[in-house]
Amino acid sequence: MGFGMARKAAGKNVERACGLALALMASLVFAQASAAQESAPPEAPPPLSPACEAPAGDIAAPAMLPHFARALRERKTARILAIGSSSTSGVGASSDSKSYPAQLEAILEGAMKGVDVVVANRGVSGEVAAVTAERIKSEVTREKPDLLLWQLGTNDALVRVAPDEFENTVRSTIRWLKENEIDVVLVGLQYSSRFSRDEEYFAIRNVLQRVASAENVAYVRRYDAMRFIAQNHANLQMMARDNFHLNDLGYQCMAEHIARAVIVGVFAKRRPSGN
Amino acid sequence: MKTPTIEERMRQPNEIDFWRGFALVTIFVNHIPGIVFERFTFRNVAISDSAELFVFLAGWALRKLVDGPAKPLSARYLILRLEGRAFTVYLAQLVIAQLAIALLAGASLLLDAPFLLDWNNASAIFADPVRAHLGLVALTFQLGYFDILPLYVALMLVSPLIALSYRHARAALLPVSLAIWAFALAFGVNLPTWPVEGAWFFDPLAWQLIFVLGFLLAGEDGIGGLARRYRKPIGWIALPIVLLGVAAARIDFDPSPIALPEPKLFFVFDKTFLSPARLLSSLAIVAVFAGSFGAISRALPRLGAFLSLLGRNSLNVFCAGSLLSLAGQVFRFAYGGDVVSDAFIVMFGLIVMGAAAWASEWRERLRAKTSKEPAA
Repeated sequence: MGFGMARKAAGKNVERACGLALALMASLVFAQASAAQESAPPEAPPPLSPACEAPAGDIAAPAMLPHFARALRERKTARILAIGSSSTSGVGASSDSKSYPAQLEAILEGAMKGVDVVVANRGVSGEVAAVTAERIKSEVTREKPDLLLWQLGTNDALVRVAPDEFENTVRSTIRWLKENEIDVVLVGLQYSSRFSRDEEYFAIRNVLQRVASAENVAYVRRYDAMRFIAQNHANLQMMARDNFHLNDLGYQCMAEHIARAVIVGVFAKRRPSGN
Repeated sequence: MKTPTIEERMRQPNEIDFWRGFALVTIFVNHIPGIVFERFTFRNVAISDSAELFVFLAGWALRKLVDGPAKPLSARYLILRLEGRAFTVYLAQLVIAQLAIALLAGASLLLDAPFLLDWNNASAIFADPVRAHLGLVALTFQLGYFDILPLYVALMLVSPLIALSYRHARAALLPVSLAIWAFALAFGVNLPTWPVEGAWFFDPLAWQLIFVLGFLLAGEDGIGGLARRYRKPIGWIALPIVLLGVAAARIDFDPSPIALPEPKLFFVFDKTFLSPARLLSSLAIVAVFAGSFGAISRALPRLGAFLSLLGRNSLNVFCAGSLLSLAGQVFRFAYGGDVVSDAFIVMFGLIVMGAAAWASEWRERLRAKTSKEPAA
């Protein structure tokens, strides 16, 4: 695929995300109106911290998370499995409690009062998607999560996994997860100025975007959000000393952005639209 | 005990060494994610892969040792001998893990690429060295793709139990092994990893079963005898299982736990816990291809000899192969992954693995020769 086409596709995605965001705002009003009757009313996504501000379209292309929402509604507790590579395990963070899954748990519980969210961290640094996909099978069988956050792509791009092979892996795993009634949020590639012109990096990013929209799963556009922050808050240090991994603040933004996609996905359940 | 002669040490090409060599080459290719030639490895047409074959054949080799050179040993010396082997494998694991870490560190400096320090789960070594080094020697911290030898160490550690129960309570061996495997699957029991939170990639409690099956099938008695007597009919029964595996792999079929009864690990295709489908698939492959070595080595004698050479020196070749896979990953990162560079990686890998095997045997021969001469 040529760059022009890819850019067009990406543009379409942004439009889609904006449209979704508008629909979500409408559903928010509806949600708050009916919140009184609900047992566990999800509240509006908490505001982003100033450092983590980015346009909604750069943050995520959300999608419904029906199973996660149902678990919260019916059991008041939900399990999240955060799987992926170094950004999940928290390389660069000052402690385990600063990794994005740990921060996410706190954000979600703060935003949705009265519910218990358990986030298990199964990040293995440097792992490619095909190996994670193998781990997902046994981890899911054991952990029985309602929602799987799958952070992926960076390492596949770096070790030059063919985009079509990557696509097969991601698609078949998403389908398997759907059959098992587990919601998925794909968390995209890391931004690094070093790879802003790398074709393989671009191709893998493209595959993720395409698969997420074709399979109708939420996609956290990490690359775009990170690039926006890097370009607009140049004074803020989001990166660890190696200038590749995130630091505590970087992970905080990552957690806030993912939390937004998750909470919006819970609201999205209420939309009367199909699927 | 009689020391084996040089000829016995450098045994002729044979079926077990050949398939071990085959498994080693497959593992080498499979551990370079994205490489073009991965598409030609047999895991693309089966629901199991070379890991099962490797562990099965390790169990087979243990039986050959226990029935052969170690047969006259008393229990005490047998334990010593087998634990010595476990220690050798453990040392090999420590050495290749350290070399892998150095390879990543060197590549990250050379290519100015700090993210290489993450590859294969290595980041804890650099980010959390105090705990990671403890985990490294305790085998609770395993680099990605460097997770088979820890399993092998665990299996060799308990191998005296297998060998002694074979000597004194033969009938109990398979039932006990099956029971432990079933227990691991029923309750999802696995060894934890530390400091990186998680579990072993190969659960030793589950994988001991295929090791024990290799051990038992290598013998002339019990299920090994049965398998020999009914090899033809078993082959015919196994063939449709293998073909089903081909179909499942081609259409990417994988059962969904939600539709399955508890305990689900019995029904999914899971590698970590060696689920029944994977076990059956690998045993069926063994049954179908057992005995084909004769035809293969007649048709392709050089291939037969080469893979047997690798298989005869499996630990050293495995170590070389693991490091070559990692070097291949770095090479693909630095030079991109096209067919030509991938072909170069595979050719180079095969040559170095062959050289490692040759050097191992050369050393062996030298040692045998010098030990005969009087000390200077």
